[in-house]
Amino acid sequence: MATAVATVAAKRVNGGSFLIEDILPADIFTLEDLSEEQKQIAQTTADFAEKEVLANVDAIEEKQFDVTRGLLKRAGDLGLMSVDVPEEFGGLEMDKVTSALIADKISVCGSFSVAFSAHVGIGMLPLIWYGTQEQKNKYLAKLASGEWVASYALSESSSGSDAMNIRTQAVLSPDGKHYILNGEKMWISNAGMANLFTVFAKIDGEKFSAFLIEAGTPGLTVGAEEHKLGIRGSSTCPLVLADCKVPVENLLGEAGNGHRIAFNILNVGRYKLGAAAIGGSKYAFRNGIRYGKDRIAFGKSVTSFGLIQEKIAESAALIYAGEALIYRVVGAIDASLAELDKSAPDITMQVQKRIEEYAVECSIVKVWASEMLERVVDHMLQIHGGYGYVEEFPAERSYRDARINKIFEGTNEINRLITTGWMIKRAMQGRLALLPAIQRVMDEVMAGPSPKDEHTGDLAAQRGLLASAKKLGLFCAGAASQKFGNGLGDQQEIMGALADIIIEVLVLESVILRTEKMAGAKPLAIKMAKYYAARSFRIVETAAERVLAAVAEGDMLRTQMTIFRRLAKHEPENTVLLGREIATAMTENGRYAF
Amino acid sequence: MRVLTLVRQVLDAEESVRIKDGAVDLDGRKLVLDTMDEYGLEQALRIRESGAEVEVVAAAIGPARCQDVLRTALAMGADRAIHVETDTKLDVIAVSKVMAGIAAREAVDLVLCGGQQADWDSQALGAAIAERMQWPQVTWTNALQLNGNELVGKHDVDEGSASFSLPLPAVITTQQGLNEPRYPTLPNIMKAKKKELRKDALEQYGATPLVKVIAESVQVKERLNKRLDTKDVHAAAAELVNLLRNEARVIA
Repeated sequence: MATAVATVAAKRVNGGSFLIEDILPADIFTLEDLSEEQKQIAQTTADFAEKEVLANVDAIEEKQFDVTRGLLKRAGDLGLMSVDVPEEFGGLEMDKVTSALIADKISVCGSFSVAFSAHVGIGMLPLIWYGTQEQKNKYLAKLASGEWVASYALSESSSGSDAMNIRTQAVLSPDGKHYILNGEKMWISNAGMANLFTVFAKIDGEKFSAFLIEAGTPGLTVGAEEHKLGIRGSSTCPLVLADCKVPVENLLGEAGNGHRIAFNILNVGRYKLGAAAIGGSKYAFRNGIRYGKDRIAFGKSVTSFGLIQEKIAESAALIYAGEALIYRVVGAIDASLAELDKSAPDITMQVQKRIEEYAVECSIVKVWASEMLERVVDHMLQIHGGYGYVEEFPAERSYRDARINKIFEGTNEINRLITTGWMIKRAMQGRLALLPAIQRVMDEVMAGPSPKDEHTGDLAAQRGLLASAKKLGLFCAGAASQKFGNGLGDQQEIMGALADIIIEVLVLESVILRTEKMAGAKPLAIKMAKYYAARSFRIVETAAERVLAAVAEGDMLRTQMTIFRRLAKHEPENTVLLGREIATAMTENGRYAF
Repeated sequence: MRVLTLVRQVLDAEESVRIKDGAVDLDGRKLVLDTMDEYGLEQALRIRESGAEVEVVAAAIGPARCQDVLRTALAMGADRAIHVETDTKLDVIAVSKVMAGIAAREAVDLVLCGGQQADWDSQALGAAIAERMQWPQVTWTNALQLNGNELVGKHDVDEGSASFSLPLPAVITTQQGLNEPRYPTLPNIMKAKKKELRKDALEQYGATPLVKVIAESVQVKERLNKRLDTKDVHAAAAELVNLLRNEARVIA
């Protein structure tokens, strides 16, 4: 459907199928497959981030919103906000990989990234997807150029993850020309500088709906800025709606259809958050390496010490894995969207449906990438020692700014529950052949020891780990559902542990496929893949053990642990040596590069 | 009128330089359009945007990878590009022959190139092209405008700066301060896909380098890793000046 910027299309796969099927390296999209144009767009975005955003970081952090607005306008001039906008409204209508690439490259300052993504994502997408021709004509060009700033108001003080419980009410005026809105909104990004708000309210206390409200509309008041731990330069305020009169033509989508707007936007928000986490972690990584290289302790650069190298190596491997994961998922979404007929009247609905197919992958990206970022910024701060704890160095800001990512776009707890829950739901609906796959693994393990699958290539051992991780995931899911049946959803800790396994399966598989797809894979990429696989499998083992211990006891538990140990059996890699090699190469590069 | 602007490909200044077998190792390194040349390209675009009827032609001479900088030039706004593709290392006199050849064939009115090459600091190219064409040249410009058929501008001289005017055709070398080069916008990146990027062979220009590079040896200096005690900032500043003047000898 979109302008074909990418020349390499990935294979269209079914959401969630990664747990039970294997695909070929050629079937996934990787960063190595970027087209010339995508590389140039990445470069323009990176230049903008380095030369304009970073140059203004102090003003941004001081909440000088005129500076932030100026930068948003600049981004609009460069076309960075038009990627998801249809051509008929002056947009570029490009693929999703390109928009993820922009979210990745622009992320050197959390505050600005949040302002940018709140604008182009949750700010503009509801209008693009649900707006009438008149609404789009009126607002879209102004938003795409950055002249206007958009804001999305869903959360309330007493409804966050449970978004359907909002209390804000809308009532049609007696003359039928306006909706009268009353209520309050909380944690609204961009509120302090926005021109247009997408506000959710229940018509007559029932029909969950969205409204486009212009700043300055009587009855709409923007409250005081929150004082936040991180992303301090972004605007976050409450909104008060007191008899706020909204023209009926500003109802967005149909009355009672607001939940679709709210939920479908989330999937896009989640993969873009993942892409932004990549940018943020690379920026932190570079700062950590540069500081560490110059910092002398005991007469040597601190990057020459093993325990510092361990942090560098793990961070690099995490970033490498993150790129593999995110671009694979977004590439699969593009492959699916590419099949659509752009001129179909219900094209925006079809687009959302296709993206919704990858809801589980989007949740995985969100959880994993936010935790990856947290780990990297922590490592990089630690390399700075005491200097990491003061505002003089950017490590401190990166550390604070990372934290929000585990909270917004659905908390990581909610997204872990979605991950496992979605898989189970799909299985029950018969749309994902999970139950037969579980049965096969059960049969296999009950039949006693069997020879391990043979794998070949540079990553043969890692392929073995991946196969084992998939089996362990299915085995644990089977054991847990045997024990709890339909009540499994209430066992949040077990759902969470199962999610950890599912997440690692997708990430590890992405890492292996990306590395294998690289023609003549670079030695450093292979090392990072091995390093990541070792880490990943430790997480799988821990989670599996936690599940089994919670669902069985006595002889049953002993039997299951025997099976667990058989499935988990492998010869460990020397990650000490690998870590030193990865860290040495990264330190020499002065940034994340391979 | 037609403006020819040379774009060279050099190692990104942000990259750490890696030495292998005595030479700079470019494998896997990020290469960019030489900023010095970028000022020339940007100025050509500005001359066009000031209302003059101008075609901007970007040219690169070098291996296949050089087409990346031509694509950048096209995305910035050049109308078309010429790539004289060769793996032969050319000395500056041979490069000037190719540039003069392009200038003559394309009936160019103005040649722009960076005053100095970012990687090896050669400053001879502009002068060599002007000599071959028998055109006037002005080096190190930091202001440049087209007034009818005449260029007016400013350039650095040893004593300070001088204002100049000169008739076309001419060769101008550019430097930092002339302008702030734009980055390609997304719509222009997409438009550039359709622009012409012509490949020429070196033989078409009969340029054979007489100077042959036999071997390279790059001098690698260890970092001094000196640390200043900053408790007394005035003393630290004085010590820094002292080190820069007497130890590193980078200031007079």
